[in-house]
Amino acid sequence: MNWTWFHKLGSPKWFFLWSKSYALPLFFLGSVALVVGLIWGLAFTPADYLQGNSFRIIYIHVPVAILAQSCYLGLGFSGLIFLIWQMKIAPIFIQSIAPIGAVMALIALVSGAVWGKPTWGTWWVWDARLTSVLVLFLLYMGIIGLKNALDDVALANKSVAVIGAVGLINLPIIKYSVIWWNTLHQGATFTLTEKPAMAAEMWIPLLISVIGMYCLVASLVLWRMQSIILEREHRSNWVKQEVMNNGF
Amino acid sequence: MTYTSFLKSECLVLWRRKYDIFNALLFFIMVVVLFPLGVNASPEFLAPAAGGIIWCAAVLAILMSIESMFKEDYSDGSLEQLVVSGLSLPLLVLIKISLQWVAVIFPLLVMMPLLSEMLYLSSGIFWVLVVTLIIGTPSLFLIGAIGSALTVSIKQGGVLLMLLILPFYLPVIIFATSAIQTAQSGLPYSGLLALLLAISLLFLVVSPFMTAISIKASVN
Repeated sequence: MNWTWFHKLGSPKWFFLWSKSYALPLFFLGSVALVVGLIWGLAFTPADYLQGNSFRIIYIHVPVAILAQSCYLGLGFSGLIFLIWQMKIAPIFIQSIAPIGAVMALIALVSGAVWGKPTWGTWWVWDARLTSVLVLFLLYMGIIGLKNALDDVALANKSVAVIGAVGLINLPIIKYSVIWWNTLHQGATFTLTEKPAMAAEMWIPLLISVIGMYCLVASLVLWRMQSIILEREHRSNWVKQEVMNNGF
Repeated sequence: MTYTSFLKSECLVLWRRKYDIFNALLFFIMVVVLFPLGVNASPEFLAPAAGGIIWCAAVLAILMSIESMFKEDYSDGSLEQLVVSGLSLPLLVLIKISLQWVAVIFPLLVMMPLLSEMLYLSSGIFWVLVVTLIIGTPSLFLIGAIGSALTVSIKQGGVLLMLLILPFYLPVIIFATSAIQTAQSGLPYSGLLALLLAISLLFLVVSPFMTAISIKASVN
């Protein structure tokens, strides 16, 4: 297999030119899927026989919670990639995805609390999964704080990559926490190997909104990366050319 | 510079700065004393909570001693000397971390019988507490070294260091205190001890390299 395209993407210039045409379509695709999934889930799906209408918050909670973890997975792996291969694009990716991941973790916590009140009777339970999402949120905040505290770009890149790669160890703990401490929280909704235990008319809109959320976050990350690339490379000739030709 | 001369000079530096460690230990005792005064002084509350109280206080004391781990070496330039010395930086870092661990944990363990008596911890559980401290605290120092190296160039890095490191400490605290609690309820707890040891060994592999990378980036 030819890996040239992959190595090309490591350079900010190529990445910028390649990603320019993807952000907007992804944004529209994500918005449409999210709107379809949410309206289907909130208005047309039958109510749960046990939880009634309150289960419908799953259509916000689950996509956001999945994204909070996926963003960290991407962040941690790009930290590793930067430490091993010194790809210039990796710290730009980390810097652009960290705030989005933090917001996702925060929404997951808040929507989980809102869902927990009618079903478990409390806003907050010291359950392993809730705690680990809280930890995930703190990890994101630590990364953002470290990035902001370091003025030197090269040092900030290295530091954020180190802490992201070390934090990757936290993800398996999140995943297996449900099995280790078997507490109130229900098991994972989607697994790759088994059919979902929910009825099809419940999980299809959920799947649509999860995919929509992925596309939406991907487009936001691409946009943030593009503006960071423009900011970092503002002295280079190709950026001047780009601005002259396409106008911003 | 050789590894042995580094070891000797580090021992000497630790001895000259013994008041830093002394302060951290005093802080540890103060935190432990706050719980009976602030929450509840009855044996019914303290005995089940003792393991958690001692672990939280130990984590705070360790955080205090870790913050200054590379700070002085960074400001007087000896950290630069380590990088250019031609010796393996991860190994030097590991030596430094182990010395710091011994210097903080040994006095902590000496005080442990006294404190566990003050918190009404039963003597059977006392040894579980000691074992969790011995196999759990290395990971705290190893993780802390990464954070300390990352924040070494920041002037007011203390709070940021806590924000960075505490999330990584949580699994260690959870496993240690749940080992003590399962021991108190008479259940087998060796699995939790194994997990603690696993975390320590994992960071024994990861931390020296990550710390070395961060030091090299900070020194430049």
